[in-house]
Amino acid sequence: MPDLTSNGMQCAEFDGLLTDALDGVLTGVRLDRFQAHTRSCPACGPLFAEVEAGRNWLKDLTEVEPPAGLVTSILASTSGVDTQRLRVNSASPQPRVTVWERAQAWASGAMQPIWETVRQPRFAMSFGMAFFSLSVALSVLGVRPADLRQVSLRPAAIRHTYYNSQARVVRYYENIRFVYEVESRVRELKRDVAPAVAPSKEAAPEKKDHSNDTTQEPEQKQERNYSQRESQLILAQALPGSSLKGPSLDDSSIERPSINDSSINDPSVVSVTAYRRFV
Amino acid sequence: MEDVQVVAMLVRRCVAGDAAAWEEIVQTYHRRIYNICYRFAGSGDDAEDLAQEVFIKMYRTLGSYDSSKGAFVTWVTTITRNLLVDHFRKTKNDRITDSLDAASSSHEDAQPLSEQIQDQSAPPDARVRSREVGETVHAALSRLSPELREAVILRDLQDMDYREIANVLRVPEGTVKSRINRGRAELARLLQRTYRQVM
Repeated sequence: MPDLTSNGMQCAEFDGLLTDALDGVLTGVRLDRFQAHTRSCPACGPLFAEVEAGRNWLKDLTEVEPPAGLVTSILASTSGVDTQRLRVNSASPQPRVTVWERAQAWASGAMQPIWETVRQPRFAMSFGMAFFSLSVALSVLGVRPADLRQVSLRPAAIRHTYYNSQARVVRYYENIRFVYEVESRVRELKRDVAPAVAPSKEAAPEKKDHSNDTTQEPEQKQERNYSQRESQLILAQALPGSSLKGPSLDDSSIERPSINDSSINDPSVVSVTAYRRFV
Repeated sequence: MEDVQVVAMLVRRCVAGDAAAWEEIVQTYHRRIYNICYRFAGSGDDAEDLAQEVFIKMYRTLGSYDSSKGAFVTWVTTITRNLLVDHFRKTKNDRITDSLDAASSSHEDAQPLSEQIQDQSAPPDARVRSREVGETVHAALSRLSPELREAVILRDLQDMDYREIANVLRVPEGTVKSRINRGRAELARLLQRTYRQVM
C-alpha cells in the first residue's frame, strides 16, 4: 500500500483505524479525517469499500446446525459413557437386585453371542447333519441306546468288551467274500510259484550255502513247507533187518504208523501220517 | 459471554470426575466449536471429526485450565485453533487448490460456485437464495489463506474481540486487525471477480 498523505492522515494510520471505523467506535475529528482520507486516497478508498463489502458478505453466513449425534459421539469418545442416561438412572430409585437375578443377567449377557450363533439356520442345519451322521454310524455299528444302560464300566468288563468287539470285527472281516477270495487267490499264487523257485535254487548252488546262514531270514521255501500239514505217502525201501524208522526220520516227528495187516507182509510200501519238516 | 465463576466451578467438577459437568460443557460449547471447524475446514464431515478431536483434547487437558489466565471460551477456542492449524498442515499436501468452478460443498452433486451465483436470481424463495449466497460465501472463505481465514472467522463469525483473538492467535492486536481487514478485502475481491465472470 502506498504511504500517501491526504488530509493530514497517512495510509498506515488509515489501516489501523479501519476496523474501528467499521465497528463504529471511531468518532470526532479522527472520524472526519478518516472519511476525508477515504474519499481522497486512490488506494485507501477502494480498500475501505472492499473491506466493508467483505464484512457484509460474511454477515450472510449464519450459524450451521451441528449433526444430531455429535454430542453423543463426543461423550462416547471422551468419558466413554452416556452420561445423560446415567443421570436419569441415578435420579430414579434403583430396584433391589438379588444375587440370583444378577447371575441370570450375567449369564444371559454371556450367553447372548452363543445364542445368536445357535439361532442361525446354518448352525441348525449343521447340527442336524451331525446328529444324523452320528445316528447312522451308531446304527451301522449295532449300538443301541437301550444297551448303553447295561454297559458295565469295570476294567475287566471293558477289556472283555474290547476283545469281543475285536473278535467280532476280525470275524466279520474274514467272512467278507471279497477278502476270502483274495486270500484264496494269494494262496494259490504262492503254490504256483513254489515249483518254479526250486530249480532256480538248484541252478545256483553257491547260493545254497547262504541258506544255512541262520542269521539271515528264513527262505520262503521253509515257510511254504511249514504249511504242508497233510498226510503224505512216503515210500521207503525196507532193507532186510532194518527197522521201520528210517535214518532220515526223527522220532519226535513221527507218529506211530498205522500199518495194515496186509501191509505187514509187504514192508516195501509204508503209509505214514506225519508232520514232517522238509528242508 | 460467560460467568467466570460458574464456568470455573463447572471445570472443577469435571476434573473431579463429574460426568454430568462434562456433559454440560459439551452441550454448551459443541455448537461453537463445530461452527469454527466447519468454516475453517470447509466440509461437514471434517468439521465433525475435528470437533470430536477438540473435545477429546479438551477432556485430557481440562486440568491445565487456569481461570486466572483467561476466559474458558478463549482457552477452548485456542485449542480448536491449534488443532485446526495442525490439521491444515497435515492435509496441506493432499489439498487440491480448487477453483471457483469446483464444488463448494461436501456433497458430490453440489453445484459449482459459478453456477450457484448464476442461478442466484432464479429462485423466487428468498430463503433458498440466502442459503445459496451463504454457500457461495462459504466457498470463497475456504479459499482464503489460513491466517486470514482464522482471523476473519473469529471476528466476524464468532464475535470475539481483538484482544481475545490476539490471545488465541498469539499475535499483537494490530496484526489481528490487519489480518481481518485483508481477509475481508480478499473475500470481497474473490466474490466480485466471480460475479463479474458470470454476469
